[in-house]
Amino acid sequence: MASQVSKLNYVDRKLGAPTSGQQTTRIVYDTVVPGTQKTAEFFKNFAGKSLGQSNLTQGKLDSSESMVIKTITFMEGFTGSGLTPLGAAHHVLCSVIVGNQTVVKNLPVNFNQGITGQPFDRLHAAASTTNQGVPFNSDMSPTELRLLTDIVIPPQTDFYVKLETDGDFGENTLLCVLSGYGKIFSAGSSF
Amino acid sequence: MYVANKLGLSTLNQMQGSTGAVYDTDISNVGILFGNASQHTFPAQTNVTENKFEVNSALLIETIAFYRLDSQGVPLNLLFPANGLVGTDVLVFDLIIGNKVVMKDTPIFLGGGPTTFASMPKVDTFGQEATIPRHQIFLEGAGILIPPQVEWSIQYSIYNFTTGAKKQVNPQTDGTIAAYLFGTRVLLNFNTTL
Repeated sequence: MASQVSKLNYVDRKLGAPTSGQQTTRIVYDTVVPGTQKTAEFFKNFAGKSLGQSNLTQGKLDSSESMVIKTITFMEGFTGSGLTPLGAAHHVLCSVIVGNQTVVKNLPVNFNQGITGQPFDRLHAAASTTNQGVPFNSDMSPTELRLLTDIVIPPQTDFYVKLETDGDFGENTLLCVLSGYGKIFSAGSSF
Repeated sequence: MYVANKLGLSTLNQMQGSTGAVYDTDISNVGILFGNASQHTFPAQTNVTENKFEVNSALLIETIAFYRLDSQGVPLNLLFPANGLVGTDVLVFDLIIGNKVVMKDTPIFLGGGPTTFASMPKVDTFGQEATIPRHQIFLEGAGILIPPQVEWSIQYSIYNFTTGAKKQVNPQTDGTIAAYLFGTRVLLNFNTTL
């Protein structure tokens, strides 16, 4: 399987995108408060958000930037305090749409969803690992999903992430984090 | 070596290859790490005397980790619990080398993740069933080189992702933020590399 670096270079080259940017580890994130809705869409609405709520200002990367999604992380947080299991005891399905293509479709974020949810692989955090008896303000771990097939987000291409549940998320804030290898604008030599 | 050659560091490959880590503490609480390292105490607050490496010394960063010193100066491996910091807070940082931002708006979520490689939580001292998150990023795909004689720093801010509000660390109750950069080190060596 192609590495993240070579896959990003291949796609950038096919698209005619710049390939000389600063190589880096890129992490983008966005938050939503879906209320009683059963779906939540990330990276679509940026109005009024601070840097703490999203580190993008539009639903696409800049013209000289691109990235490979390797890990998707979700958190559900009580306002101003700690985390809670994502989606409580309900199934939560994740879809990722890049351009007009669905590149991840209705993927459960972990198996055995609910307060006993576990990640599919053995390395990443579960949705609901409780720090039992510990007086932490955050007493739940985030949900982390390591993709087996890297997804490329090319420059200037709209993308968004959708969560669906059979319950609802209440008034909690949902956070979606996409992380992996990327390139950012850089003039001159890269480090 | 590829980057070193591109930067004109033609003798770097004759130096001693090693493993290294540098750390610094923001004791002034101004949101800057390494930038003021020359004013900090060795080794309690930093292990560098200035925020640039000497000639023919370098660091290829492979992981970045954050921690804090409590108000007594004791290192703690957590950014929380602290009186003012909670699990929905996020530390957002830029890594700057020379005049270039090489990692931008990069989040460290206090609730844990994304570590980008593996979360591998640490077993908590309060109970065997408990785990605490790592506040660490493993760099994906490509490490980042800090070349010799080029200044570097980390600039950070802390927010809450549910309210969006920016938060100020209180050194008296929260302690002070600190960070490690760990990776492959090149040490100045005049003789044959061992």
